Amino acid sequence: MILIDNLTKTYGDLTALDSLCLQVKEGEIYCLLGANGAGKTTTINLLLGFIKPTSGSAFINDINVVEQPKLTKNYLAYIPENLMLYPSLTAVENLDYFSGIANKKFNKEELEAFLTEAGLQTSAFHKSVSKYSKGMRQKVGIAIALAKDAKVLLLDEPTSGLDPKASNEFGQLLQKLRQKGVATLMATHDLFRAKEVATTIGVMKDGQLKHQWSVDELSLKELEDSYLETMSYNSL
Amino acid sequence: MVIDTFKKETKELWRDGRVRIAFIIVLLLTAIATFISTKHYQSINEQYLEANTTEREIWDNQGEKNPHSAAHYGTYAFKPKYPLSLIDQGVDKYTGTSIFLEAHKRNEAQFVAASDQTGLARFGDLTPDFILLFIIPLLLILVAYNSITKEKERGTLTLLNSQGAIGWKIVLGKWLAIFLPIFILAFLLFILTGILLSSLPDFGVFSWSSLFTLFGTYMVYYAIFINLVLIISASVKKSGISLVLSLSVWILVCLVLPKVASNLAEYKYPYPTRQEFSENIAQDKKQGLDGHNPWSKAAKELEENTLKEYGVDSLSQLPFNYDAYRMQKGEEHEAEIYFKHYNYLKTQYGNQSSIYQKLAAISPYLPTRFLSMAIAKTDYNTHWDFSDAAENYRIESQKFLNDHFAKESKYGEWDFKADAEFWKKLPKFNYEPPSLSETIKTNTSSVVIMLIWLVGTFTLLFFTTKSL
Repeated sequence: MILIDNLTKTYGDLTALDSLCLQVKEGEIYCLLGANGAGKTTTINLLLGFIKPTSGSAFINDINVVEQPKLTKNYLAYIPENLMLYPSLTAVENLDYFSGIANKKFNKEELEAFLTEAGLQTSAFHKSVSKYSKGMRQKVGIAIALAKDAKVLLLDEPTSGLDPKASNEFGQLLQKLRQKGVATLMATHDLFRAKEVATTIGVMKDGQLKHQWSVDELSLKELEDSYLETMSYNSL
Repeated sequence: MVIDTFKKETKELWRDGRVRIAFIIVLLLTAIATFISTKHYQSINEQYLEANTTEREIWDNQGEKNPHSAAHYGTYAFKPKYPLSLIDQGVDKYTGTSIFLEAHKRNEAQFVAASDQTGLARFGDLTPDFILLFIIPLLLILVAYNSITKEKERGTLTLLNSQGAIGWKIVLGKWLAIFLPIFILAFLLFILTGILLSSLPDFGVFSWSSLFTLFGTYMVYYAIFINLVLIISASVKKSGISLVLSLSVWILVCLVLPKVASNLAEYKYPYPTRQEFSENIAQDKKQGLDGHNPWSKAAKELEENTLKEYGVDSLSQLPFNYDAYRMQKGEEHEAEIYFKHYNYLKTQYGNQSSIYQKLAAISPYLPTRFLSMAIAKTDYNTHWDFSDAAENYRIESQKFLNDHFAKESKYGEWDFKADAEFWKKLPKFNYEPPSLSETIKTNTSSVVIMLIWLVGTFTLLFFTTKSL
């Protein structure tokens, strides 16, 4: 579903991403860990087609991101750290609009069903999202992905700032999407959540993928130690 | 995508208290301005009809009188108030409403409305054209300045892009959502005005086609303004900067450039002062034939030539009253002098206009203003046309009176009197303003410049927002 092959992005002398190779298959959740500036967000922006790579290639659903960025967007959904919606619109109206942009048309009941599936409480459906918590907005983001029937989900620090309950709910939603066969790439600092939801974990440093483990290969403690070791080595 | 964005933007705008209040204020201002203008138009029109009828009655019933005395007694040519002046009063306030028509002299229009006003008039009037040309563009800025910047600031643009949004389609949806309320607001104003005007018993030369052409002109103006504001909003990152830049464009386009154009035109092609103008005419008159002075060199030459032409020895042998004949020749000479000097003014006006037309390329306000005034028949061209028509009527009237005097009396018969019914035979002054097609033809350059602005800004907007 997601295939990244030798992807490199440089800004003058600065190498933001250095020959990155990774793959996220259908029904997998790949968590990218790393310090700020490690290249996680750059990877996601390259997959979204927001920036062009210096070299290498990336594929979403076997479609080259660089060559056909518009087409790849038919298959992916994106939830940034702070999902911002239109504050004067309700959740249903926001979902209706964003689905419309992706050429998906639904009636009111169908839109409400997506919001329900995303875990948003019914009483909030027709309220202005200006008063929504971050967790509620992230649920609308998941509903947008569900409505789009996205095959690939790109998440950039989605649980940052969420309370443990909301973070847990979000993790459960990701598992639900995983069961539907969605390939998820999540950039995060949250080791605990990564260990909980991921199928594969990668650690990035200086634009390079330093380690990659299957989640079953190591415990949370081992993950934490390895991560800290990589980071401390990084700081030397 | 376009319709989805249009619906979303409309909801957002409608739920935005700021925009709602601004729309209500503009609607109220427009209603007040239309009401005031309608009352003003009705009042002026009633005065016009009354003055026209009364003045003609006075002319028709002046009794037995010498035709040349009647020529000096004179009459008035009244400038009609055109229905669309209700929307655009143009230069009417400054050009005068009536011209006194008398023997030997071409007078300028008098009873200038602006001269009857107090110093408070400097603050300007609340008229529909003020709202259409200045206030609605401000409203457009208020509605559109953050249309794209807010998407960037909120981060919704990123989400839109991830959903596969196409920049120009999103912007077209936004464009329609901004344009449509203004379209409806202006459409209501124009329809209301049309109904008001067509229901008046004396709506004269009002035509729906002129009204809709005027409406179309303003719609193009607003489309250009929306394009400019959206280009700014797409080009900068912050709403505050977009607002400041948009307001700067408004100040430049609507206030500064028209003044610069006016000053430049006046500097390059100045009008003579009133004193110079009068002196030049008086000087030319002195050198030619004065119908009242039989002893001048020119009069003597005319006398000799006339006697020779008719093969007689004395003026009393001529088959007409030579005094009246000389009077008419004097009129013709004076008419030529007036034609020459007024033509110079018209040439200067034409030169000034060409500067305006050239500068219209840098401000969409200028061609809109020209077209609006021209269609409403409140521009200088129409005034010149009326002034020329009045002068032609004056020349024809003088000939009509002098010819009658010459044919019906004998040389030296200064006590001749035309009978009381004679005056009714003088055709009435009937001014036909230029038709809509003539007006458009005269203002082709303004139409072309507006279309260039429209296409140019749309193209620029497309390329600016192609990939947001």
